[in-house]
Formats: sequence, structure tokens, C-alpha cells
Amino acid sequence: MLALERVNVRIGAMHVLRNVTLEVRPGATAALVGRNGAGKTTTLRTVMGLAARSSGTITFAGTDLDAVPPHRRPALGIGYAPEDRRLFSAFSVEENILLPDRVARTRNADAARKLERVYETVPELKELRRRPAGSVSGGQGKMVALGRALMIGTRLVLLDEPFQGLAPALARRYGDALRRLRERERELSLVITESNPALLAGLADTTFVIERGEVVPAETAPDHVG
Amino acid sequence: MDPILLVLATLDGIAYAALVFLVAVGLTLIFGVMRILNVAHGGFYAIGAYAAASLVLSVSGADLNPWLTFPALLVAAGAVGAVLGLVIERGLLRHIYAKEEVLQLLVTFAAFMILEDVQRLVWGVQPYAATDPVRLLGTVEVMGIPYNAYQIILLPAIALLVLVGLRWFLRHTLSGKVITAVTEDRETAITVGIDARRVFTITFVIGAVLASLGGALASPTTAIQLGLGAEMIVLSFAVVATAGLGQVEGAALAALLIGLGRSFAVYLVPELDVLIPYMIMVLVLLVRPQGLFAVAEKRRI
Ligand SMILES: Nc1ncnc2c1ncn2[C@@H]1O[C@H](COP(=O)(O)OP(=O)(O)OP(=O)(O)O)[C@@H](O)[C@H]1O
Ligand SMILES: [Mg+2]
Repeated sequence: MLALERVNVRIGAMHVLRNVTLEVRPGATAALVGRNGAGKTTTLRTVMGLAARSSGTITFAGTDLDAVPPHRRPALGIGYAPEDRRLFSAFSVEENILLPDRVARTRNADAARKLERVYETVPELKELRRRPAGSVSGGQGKMVALGRALMIGTRLVLLDEPFQGLAPALARRYGDALRRLRERERELSLVITESNPALLAGLADTTFVIERGEVVPAETAPDHVG
Repeated sequence: MDPILLVLATLDGIAYAALVFLVAVGLTLIFGVMRILNVAHGGFYAIGAYAAASLVLSVSGADLNPWLTFPALLVAAGAVGAVLGLVIERGLLRHIYAKEEVLQLLVTFAAFMILEDVQRLVWGVQPYAATDPVRLLGTVEVMGIPYNAYQIILLPAIALLVLVGLRWFLRHTLSGKVITAVTEDRETAITVGIDARRVFTITFVIGAVLASLGGALASPTTAIQLGLGAEMIVLSFAVVATAGLGQVEGAALAALLIGLGRSFAVYLVPELDVLIPYMIMVLVLLVRPQGLFAVAEKRRI
């Protein structure tokens, strides 16, 4: 589904990603684990086209993403929930979740059906839906960002440190939502970054470990980094 | 202070604020979305004024219904704003979005200078006056003082209409929501499928049309001559900075504050009238560097 091959990213003088190569099969859940500053966020941003590659290729479902401008990538079915939520505070929670479909001019009935599905996966969102997005807590915001990513990501969903900063109760509910998602959407590919791989136990079926911008063999990695 | 002067100063201030608001709100909208301070905005204002005056004069000169001068103002504003906005954004700014802010500022400054030359070439150096619209609307009495209905009713009404209309557009239409989203967070907007470049073009043209509308509406009330655009761009910078960059409603209040400040200065301390707007701005920025209505910039990764 998603394949990165020898991807290099330089930001200023820094060589942030070095020959990153990884592959995520359809229906797979891949964990991308690494310490702070290892390059997890940059990897996801590169897939979304927000960080520029200096070399390497990224293919998604057989398409070279080079040919797809960043704002067209969501239309391929790639959803992204950034680590710091990034909700639009001018809108309500539901407007945030629906914005991608409004922009894509999805028919109202189809958008409503998708929304209902997302609410079944993440029921917490239903109670929040009329709230101004600026007024929800950080943890709730992560749920909203997940909901928004699920509306877009029909084939691939990228979640950047979803558990970071979540209170334990909320983290459990977030984990439940991901497990429900896994059961319902068998074809969907997931990439989840984490600095603490223990949080993804039982969820991920592939683990990539990233260290200082390089993907290293998983066996050599300690089971708890960060 | 003599109560009559008080009334006059207030009326002048409101009429002036209405015009400044139209220019400043476009400037702040463009800054919010594109993060570019568009100096060329002053050129849109000036050319809007020149084009409106020319059109009004030819309507007045021809044997036409004089009330047609009003649609003439709007047509001139729309045409100038749409054409110049598109040409400058597509032809110039589009190529420098990835460049440093200083360069962007310099390029819009260069565009402003080019537009000044265009004015000189097309309209020459003699001043224009096209006052028919003001004459047609006559005067109203405010507390016994006759005042131009054009300035005290029409201009504030249009400014208010623009403010309410813009708010409605930004909150309730898809294009408006998309503009709002890009203003708040361009990157995230892209990750939900928004074509930021297209939003730039739309926003820039809307801003340019508002600026040339300001110029067109100002044209019946002043002598139109070179230097018009420079004065207005500096003043709207003051309004935008006072309100806080990117603040639409704030721009209206700051325009009123600065418009009233300036008109009171004209009557009370005429030697300071040019300075007052900037003194207000400096005072506000010393206390609140982000402007009166802006919340401090959000953290970015
Ligand atoms: N825009 C940027 N400007 C400068 N340096 C950057 C930028 N983005 C990332 N970096 C650097 O690249 C490296 C990788 O950053 P990245 O955010 O991808 O790491 P991460 O694994 O997501 O870390 P964290 O666990 O803190 O989120 C870091 O050293 C970071 O300082
Ligand atoms: Mg990160």
C-alpha cells in the first residue's frame, strides 16, 4: 500500500531522514517507534508532502506520490492526525471532522454515512460534536483529530504519537477506538508513531524502529525507547 | 470643545473610518491567509479611485441618467480589483511564496511603485474631481448641521454591509470556511485537501476588490491625484497593526478609533492630524504588541 524507498530529507543543514525504507501492506498496522527527534513526525509529514524530500521515492497504491501535489493526497484516501491535533478552532468539532468532505464536495448523504461510521468507531465524538473545537481538552482534541483523519483515510491513516499527553482513561478509550477500527476496516493500512512501543502492544503487526533519521532492524532495538 | 465641532469631527471621523476600513480589511484578510503585507494594496486603492472618477466623468458627460454614476463606481471598483488582483497574484506573488518575508514585502513594494507609474501614464499629473454622486444624494441635517448624505449615510452603510457580509461569507460558505481554515493553519488545511494556492488567489482578488472599492467610493469626496495610494496604504497599515494582523472585526473598530482620532485632531490640534493615527498605533503596540484584538501567535511545530 505504502512504500518509502531510500527517502532522504534535509531541513536546513540537518539531514533529518537518511535512506528511510519501509513498506506497509494493505490492512497492516505498522508502528514507527523512536526517541524524541528521531524523525517520526518528519516521516509522516514527508508522506503528506509537507516536508520536501531531497531524494528517494514514495509510492502509494502503485502511484508515485511525487506526481500528486500535497493537497490532492487526501483524495487518494490518506488521512493524517498530527501529533499536536491541529484542529480549526473557528469551527465546531463536527465541522472539523466534516471539512475534508466539504472540500472534496462529497455528496451530503455519503458524508453523513461516513460520519456515522466514524461516530461508531469513536463514540466519544458524538457527545462533543457541537462543541467549538477550541474548547475541547487536549486529549479530546486528539480524538477529534483521529475522527477527521478517519473521514479522509479510507485506505491509509497516519497517526502521529496518538497516545502522547492522553490521561490514562482517555488513552484506553483511544486504544479501544483503534481496535474497533482494526476490526471494522480490514483493508485499511495504519501507521502509528510512538516513542513508547509498549502502548502499541497487540495493535501493531509490523514495527519499524527509527534512530537519528535511520530505520534500523527491529530486533536490535530495546523494547522500550524514549 | 464647541458642540458643533464635536459633531462635525465625529461625522468626519466616521466617514473617513468607513473608507479606511474597506482598504484595511482587505489588507488584513490577505495577510491572514498569505502572511504577506501587501504594499501594492495602496495601488489598488488609487487606481480604483482614478478609474471610478474617469467612469463617473464619462457618465456625467454623456447624456445619461446621472444616477448611473453609482453603478459606475461599483463597476470600476470590481473591474480594477479583479484585473489587478489576478495579474499581481498570478504574475508576481505566485513565484515568491516560498521566499523570505523581506523579499515578499519588497516585491509588493515594487508592485506598488509600478502601479504608481501606471497612474502617471494613464491619468497624468493633474488632479481629477468627479463629485456627482455626492451632489445627487444632497445633505442631511445632523443636530442642525448640514452634512453630505454620501459621506455620513452611504459610506458607513457600505462599510457595515461589507463587514457583515464578509463575516457571513467567512462563517457560512464553503469558500469562506476554506479561507478561515488556511488563515488558521495552512499546513493542516492542505492535509484535509484544501488547495492553498487557489485560496491565495481568491483571497487576494477579494482583498484587491475591497481596496479598489475603497478608492472608488472615496473618489467623489476628494481630489484624486498622485500620492493618494501612499497615504492610504500607510494609514491602513496603522489600522491593521492596531487591530492585530488578520483581524476582520478588529479592523473595523481600529478604523473607527483611528478615523475618529484623526478627525478630532484636525479640529483640536491640526498640527498633529497626520501623526495621530500613528501615535495611536504606537501606543497600542507598546501595550499590546500583537494588536488590540489578536490572540498571541499559536505555537507551531
Ligand atoms: N522544521 C524543522 N526545522 C528544523 N529542524 C527540524 C524541523 N523538523 C524537524 N527537525 C529536526 O529533525 C529531527 C527529527 O524531528 P521529528 O519531529 O521528525 O522527530 P520525532 O521523531 O517526531 O520527535 P518527537 O518524538 O519529539 O515528536 C529533529 O532533530 C528535529 O529537531
Ligand atoms: Mg514527532
